[in-house]
Amino acid sequence: MSDVILKMLDLHKHFGNHEVLKGIDLNVRRGEVLVIIGPSGSGKSTLLRCLNFLEEYDKGEVLFDGRLVGYRRTKRGKLVKDSARNIAAVRKRMGMVFQSFNLFPHMTVLENVVEGPIVVQRIGRKEAERDAKVLLERVGLGDKIHEYPSKLSGGQQQRAGIARALALRPEVMLFDEPTSALDPELVGEVLEVMKSLAADGMTMIVVTHEMGFARDVADRVMVMDSGLIVEIGPPANIFSNPAQARTAEFLRRVLH
Amino acid sequence: MNYVWDFQIVWEYRQVFVRGAIITAQLTFWATLLGTVLGLVLGLMRRSTNAVLRYPAALYIEAFRATPVLVQLVWIYYSLPILSGLQMGNVASCALGLGLHAAAYIAEIFRAGVNSIDKGQWDASRAIGMRYTQMMRRIILPQAIRRMIPPFINEFATLLKLTTLGSVLAVNELLHEATNLINNTYRPLEIYTAVAVVFAILIYPFIYASQRLEQHWRIRS
Repeated sequence: MSDVILKMLDLHKHFGNHEVLKGIDLNVRRGEVLVIIGPSGSGKSTLLRCLNFLEEYDKGEVLFDGRLVGYRRTKRGKLVKDSARNIAAVRKRMGMVFQSFNLFPHMTVLENVVEGPIVVQRIGRKEAERDAKVLLERVGLGDKIHEYPSKLSGGQQQRAGIARALALRPEVMLFDEPTSALDPELVGEVLEVMKSLAADGMTMIVVTHEMGFARDVADRVMVMDSGLIVEIGPPANIFSNPAQARTAEFLRRVLH
Repeated sequence: MNYVWDFQIVWEYRQVFVRGAIITAQLTFWATLLGTVLGLVLGLMRRSTNAVLRYPAALYIEAFRATPVLVQLVWIYYSLPILSGLQMGNVASCALGLGLHAAAYIAEIFRAGVNSIDKGQWDASRAIGMRYTQMMRRIILPQAIRRMIPPFINEFATLLKLTTLGSVLAVNELLHEATNLINNTYRPLEIYTAVAVVFAILIYPFIYASQRLEQHWRIRS
């Protein structure tokens, strides 16, 4: 078993004429917390969405646990889109948390969390509900399991979103600006849950504007700008001693 | 004006209205069933990324929406047997024609309903590893159907009233029966009024049920 769980090789993505990712090379190790920062429009979210193939990349490779994500190689070495079955199979090994929560509004919190295990993993309802209750207890929603999402605060919804992603026992968690849609006073409760996940050794890739979280929790911080990696390293280096002028400039703006 | 209303005549010939209403209800039932099933398939086809599915569906939908129902009915009754050798009775032809017509509109209702679902719902269901059919069945359609109910009931009410076009194929639906009755009794005002009342009685329960359903869903989520 390799130490590297996610690998990106010369990853490119464009929307129309606009090239959003211009060649990303990156390894993510098991148990690592990687925080991605950078100005808006720098390609952070697109990069994250390429990892579980919500976004189809145009060139390069994403390897999850040594296997190509989203494409397969024909006998002649050409890359073609992989089968829906294989794409779905790799996606359920990664959990994803969204900026706008994206809970299923026609289901209660508990139903949201058991949906993946029951429908996708075909686990029995009893077992799935027992596991879901443990998870919901852990994210502090033990008393909200029968509520519909619309009855919850943003912070509660996002914690339910984290529980839903964890219910599939993913090997990696992808966070796409998980606190950006929250009122300031609700950001802390979500970050606390994320910190406890990191402390448990979960592999996490987090796109965020929360510099405090990056500094305190990240093993490595990656700075992106205009579709490229500006620099990557331990938070102490990035925040106190950035090697690149663009990093210093970005940090000066966000830390005012 | 000293017109003397005589609704007694309606009661006397009540059997005629019952008979017509039954045919009208049957036509509506079969047309709705066909229209819904075919409309769902067409709606899905039209959303497909595969051009071989998408273009025929689009052509079908636009052709039926752009031409008069009356012509469609006449065409199916008279031309289809010539082209296909398939001989159908006038009631079956009428139900088929109305069903094919309704399918085009129901496909559009379906498409609009599915398109109205937030992109994040698709992302979230894909991210937990759902396949297309699981995502449609569990996440997208349950939400889309709630939004499709009001326009669907609209279409149903329209369809019920369109059955009156069956008279051109000599189908003995409600209006056709009523017209015959008028020719015998010379009481058009009373009889047309009664026809309107019967249609309202047929349609209203569905409108009421749809309103209750919407209310129920509003409270729940």
